[in-house]
Amino acid sequence: MATELTTESYIGHHLTNLTCGKTPDGWTCDPYMVDKMGFWAFHVDSLFWSILLGALFITIFRLGIPKSTDSAPSGLQNIVEMCIEFVNDNVQSLFGSVKNTLIAPLALTVFVWILFMNLMDLVPVDFLPVLAGHIAYIVAGDSVGWISSPESFYFKVVPTTDPNITLGMAFAIFVLTIYYSITVKGPKAFIAELTLHPFGKWLIPVNFILEMVNFIAKPISLGLRLFGNLYAGEMIFILIALMLFFGSIPIGIMGFGLHLVWALFHILIVALQAFIFMALTIAYLAMAHETEEH
Amino acid sequence: MNINATLLAQAVVFIVFIAICWKYVYPPILAAMQEREKKISDGLNAAKKADDALEEARIAFEKELSNAKAEASEIIEKANNRATQIVSDATSKAETEAEKIITSANKTVENETNKAKEDLRKQLSSIIIDTTQKILDEEISKDKHEALLKKAAEEL
Repeated sequence: MATELTTESYIGHHLTNLTCGKTPDGWTCDPYMVDKMGFWAFHVDSLFWSILLGALFITIFRLGIPKSTDSAPSGLQNIVEMCIEFVNDNVQSLFGSVKNTLIAPLALTVFVWILFMNLMDLVPVDFLPVLAGHIAYIVAGDSVGWISSPESFYFKVVPTTDPNITLGMAFAIFVLTIYYSITVKGPKAFIAELTLHPFGKWLIPVNFILEMVNFIAKPISLGLRLFGNLYAGEMIFILIALMLFFGSIPIGIMGFGLHLVWALFHILIVALQAFIFMALTIAYLAMAHETEEH
Repeated sequence: MNINATLLAQAVVFIVFIAICWKYVYPPILAAMQEREKKISDGLNAAKKADDALEEARIAFEKELSNAKAEASEIIEKANNRATQIVSDATSKAETEAEKIITSANKTVENETNKAKEDLRKQLSSIIIDTTQKILDEEISKDKHEALLKKAAEEL
């Protein structure tokens, strides 16, 4: 099923996840069956990279645990401690006096993990998908019907360009926010917060609708902000890559230059978005701990 | 790019990673960092204490040194005084001695002179008597003119 390489198919290839799910005929990863899978489908590539990079984070930080406190820290240990101090400073400034031992490790996980996932954006767009396609074709090309060529195997590399990943994390944080709102403030205060603002007790339904919008908008905006920024960045990398394949030689050379410029600029976005996600996570959790009325 | 069960899977994975970080990654690193922080501040305090002790020792040493210097100069002064004293004592003693010697020498000279004068007088009187006897021969006897001779001798 080797389709001719067009601009449209190239972009489409880069924006399609390797999706495995349940169809009426059983479990499959055939891209042409995605429409029949419904909700119970998994983006295997996003989850693969997400788990791999999460494991990398855990491994690096486990290796960075200081062996002894008698000698000066060096190498990896310095980086690890720098990250911890950076996260601690942020937690301290946003959380103030509230003591919760989960927040700092959570913020650390969020920051480093998202940073790693975002950094996958800097790997040249074609490198890993083409490699994965060829490996899949060699390993399973004969036995699995839908892998008819390396190109028919989709493999997205940057997990944070998948809204499922970013919204999944935002959702988990949302659940934590509700949990802490209820346990720290108490259910009564939490419900009061959602219903008695901003118009007092005679307009409870209006208050509830307004507060609910506010409440639900937080995780959605949190997830979509990260997704939007990284998706746009990825898209621009793809478009620049197109200049190399479909343009003339001068445009191709310009493409190289543009790729360099955009990659350098993207380093900023990568780190900034990871930081923003972490800062907002801490801020939302801090709000869940605030007991006084506003 | 549709929303599907990936979202739930990622939420679960996320919570698992947070839990691992919370239990096994963050606390040991933070504990080690705090321990080292404490060690460093302890070390700095110890260094400050050692500095203070050193300063104290230096002050004590300087005090001791200046004491010793003062004592030494006192001793030297005493010794000098003593030497001067000895010299002046010796000088005055020598002067006295010299004076004594001079006085006694003077006295001796005077005595000798007196003695010589007496001898001379005696010799002269005997010479005069002899001479006079020779002149007068037996005319004048020594016994008869003793008183006269004696008077002449005294007048000499």
